[in-house]
Amino acid sequence: MIGSVILTIALAFSIISMIMYYLNYRGYKNTLNYGRIAYHAMAVLVIAASIFLWYAILTHQYQYNYIYSYSNNSLRNLGVFQLASSFWGGQEGSFMLWLLLTSIVGIILQSYASKRGDLEPRVMAVFTLATTFLLVMVSPWFKNPFEYIWMTPTFVKVEHLNSQFFNLPFIQQFYFTDQSSNQGFIQISKEFVAQLSQAGVSLNQFIVDGKGLNPQLLNFWMQIHPPILFIGFSMATVPFAFAIAALMKNDYKDWVSQAFPWMLAGMGILGLGIMLGGYWAYEMLGWGGYWAWDPVENSSLIPWLVGVAGIHTLLVQKRSQVKGGIGKYAKTNLMLAVLTYVLVLYSTFLTRSGVLGDASVHSFVDPGMIVYLFLILFMGTFTLLGFGMILFRWKTLNENIKDDESILSRELALFTAMIVLIASAIIVLVGTSAPIFGKAVDTFFYNEMHLPLAIIIMFLNGISLLIKWQRSDLNELIKKSLFAAAASIMFTILLIVIGGVHEIMIILLSLTTAFSLFVNIDIAVKIVKGNMKMLGAYVAHIGIALFILGVIGSAVYSEEININLIKGKPVTALGYEMTFTNYNTIENNTKYAFNVKVKKGNSEYNVAPVMYMSDFNNSLVREPAILTLLTKDIYISPLGYDEGGQSQDQHSHNHISLEKGNSTEFGGAKITFVKFNMAPETMQLMQEGKDFQMGAVLKIEKDGKKTQTELLRKQTDGKVEFTSFESKEMNLKIDLEKLSAGVIDIAFSTLDGSESQGSSIPTVGNEVLSVAASTKPFVSLVWVGVVIMVLGFFISMTRRLKDSRIIS
Amino acid sequence: MKNKYVFGGIIIAVFLVLMGYLFTQSNIEYVDDFNKVMVSEKVVKATGSWVKEKNYQIDNQNKTFSFVMADQNGNQMKVIFEGTIPNNFESATSVVVTGKYQNGYFHAKDILTKCPSKYEEKTANSSL
Repeated sequence: MIGSVILTIALAFSIISMIMYYLNYRGYKNTLNYGRIAYHAMAVLVIAASIFLWYAILTHQYQYNYIYSYSNNSLRNLGVFQLASSFWGGQEGSFMLWLLLTSIVGIILQSYASKRGDLEPRVMAVFTLATTFLLVMVSPWFKNPFEYIWMTPTFVKVEHLNSQFFNLPFIQQFYFTDQSSNQGFIQISKEFVAQLSQAGVSLNQFIVDGKGLNPQLLNFWMQIHPPILFIGFSMATVPFAFAIAALMKNDYKDWVSQAFPWMLAGMGILGLGIMLGGYWAYEMLGWGGYWAWDPVENSSLIPWLVGVAGIHTLLVQKRSQVKGGIGKYAKTNLMLAVLTYVLVLYSTFLTRSGVLGDASVHSFVDPGMIVYLFLILFMGTFTLLGFGMILFRWKTLNENIKDDESILSRELALFTAMIVLIASAIIVLVGTSAPIFGKAVDTFFYNEMHLPLAIIIMFLNGISLLIKWQRSDLNELIKKSLFAAAASIMFTILLIVIGGVHEIMIILLSLTTAFSLFVNIDIAVKIVKGNMKMLGAYVAHIGIALFILGVIGSAVYSEEININLIKGKPVTALGYEMTFTNYNTIENNTKYAFNVKVKKGNSEYNVAPVMYMSDFNNSLVREPAILTLLTKDIYISPLGYDEGGQSQDQHSHNHISLEKGNSTEFGGAKITFVKFNMAPETMQLMQEGKDFQMGAVLKIEKDGKKTQTELLRKQTDGKVEFTSFESKEMNLKIDLEKLSAGVIDIAFSTLDGSESQGSSIPTVGNEVLSVAASTKPFVSLVWVGVVIMVLGFFISMTRRLKDSRIIS
Repeated sequence: MKNKYVFGGIIIAVFLVLMGYLFTQSNIEYVDDFNKVMVSEKVVKATGSWVKEKNYQIDNQNKTFSFVMADQNGNQMKVIFEGTIPNNFESATSVVVTGKYQNGYFHAKDILTKCPSKYEEKTANSSL
């Protein structure tokens, strides 16, 4: 209740602040202070609501639907931070996180804007429009993290409830069982809570555990990925607000310098956030890559590409303002600043509205029609506001620059860079949006399209820094690029000869990437001796070049092989000798680590891929092991483990023929073949060779529990099929294999995959670990490259922050 | 201003054409009727659910994973995937496979499993 009230008051303050700032812009002098006070009150309330949410998570207040759904008691054992990160485990909380970070960014923005002329009322009026929308999103009418669990009747598993209250008389009316799994639930509804409180029991006492988080999300990188991504999203609001502020005043000079440091910092952080998501996928998901062109990944990449494109043309506009006037590309920059934020909103729409339901692994489930419409309204408002204002001012937006860019000018090179980045953004946008229209693109669409784009980008990345502003001399340019050209050609020849690279596009990409790298290193080295604050752009470009080299190495030259490692027997694969030694349990016996010795020459390493059964969704989770060497990663992803059979018989232990009336044991369960079940007409059908159905009744006893099941042999159109029995509780699966007179053949297996599926055991009596092993050459450059690039963004930002103080 | 439009225009035009071409090449449609999947000559994304009763097989020799899938009308087909069982397969409520139907099997090159994960609770519908 408190949380919802705080958020509703915050919403009121956000609207007040917006109105006060707008009135101040329209000439009401005395409303500025009200706008400021209201903004700060809003921000403080949002921070308070966030702290309250954290408090409720840490104290396990499962009466809140959000907390019940995304956290549980066992998260606490993993550490306070792990539990606290369930704050952004679901949709409501991630909106809350976005709101929190936007509010904090706004506090900094208010202080920044107040020191820069008459900027504040305009910028803050736009900015508070964004906070208003976010506050409506988390308000009690939409995605409120403080919604009580009973507000929409929810079935809660009996394990999550306090059993000492089960003797309350009215409980039975709300008790349900799911017959297929024998799982008991209690329906928590308004009526139930009313009865409960009459009995003097609070809901918090009654619900004692929550559902928890998917174990794959319980990874350090995954926990810091959302906050960093959302800082990037929040900061994308700022250039938008500056652009609209400029359009309101019809003055396009100062906003460029003022928005520049925000754009740099925002895109740097967003880039880092996107990379962390990729790093998590690489480390946790075990498919060996860091980028799958998944809609969720793509949707945050699109605004980043557009924002980075904008950085390049903002630089040109700023540079060309020296000659007076508003500078070149004024319209382009306004559009890109607007588009960056609109695409952040589009990203939210794609991932939260449920439109990509079938297309993504981690798309959120349909949030309902009203949220869907609200997301469209949110996006539509900012699109109309931004582009409407630009159109409204189109005629007055005159650059008054007559001179054409020379072919050999840095202006044109940077403009081209922007175009190429936008082309990339369009490609990703089209591919990602296709599922809305019931289509999808194969990942080769993105890869094929980006190969030529990357070649051009890397070429521009190098050449644009050699070309002078306005005009350069061709001879001089050739002379200046001689070193980098020669070095990159040498590098590429080495790559072809030693590395065995022979696809033409990859050779071209390596060539231009090396060119860019050498140009930037060359200039950076000269700068280090001179003016350090100029270093940013070169550092960022070196980062991108290293990143592309890492992508070439890890994506194009990765080798993969599936191998079966028999315990103690070395297997040579990918040039390494791998031996599976043993397995042991880790993390309080909840997970199994499979130790593999990797040997090459005199170097020996130990790695341990992990597998475990997750209680969260009752399935087997596999985590890869990564061995990072100087030039490559050895990536070992577990596929399965087979303990092998102990029996001397040619049948492994889990296949058995059972006579009617006899019993056998498997995994602590006693299985008795009771009788055949046959309809009276079956015999007739059998003799006539027609389709028939026949069953074998089995009695299963484990840990004092008894159950009976019937396995069927079905014949339809001459095809024979057998059914099987599964019980999660008993961790047992029984497959019927054959029915004959008085005897059945059955196969047993455990559900947690610790025993494989019968016939496919390669060597009986041995413990076998199956893995997918691969090499990832120079994959480290992918991470190093992005981190260096982000560093470059920040060096540039500090320089541009100084520039932004100068008011014309 | 001319150079700007020439450069920008050419790049955008070239990539739009290339994109249009590749889009039609790599375009995959979602099909939820297996009768259509079986006659389709193109790569499709077939959506349905795993038939639990028919189990799944992991073939370590051929490194394949196979299972039987059913669409909403109950039409079934066998799916073979060259690779390993995806995480969460056992608990998936629906499965999306990308590939082509040939020689009596659906040859999947990609499997996507949708889980009844944290976002929805299974509804218990039979009272005691």
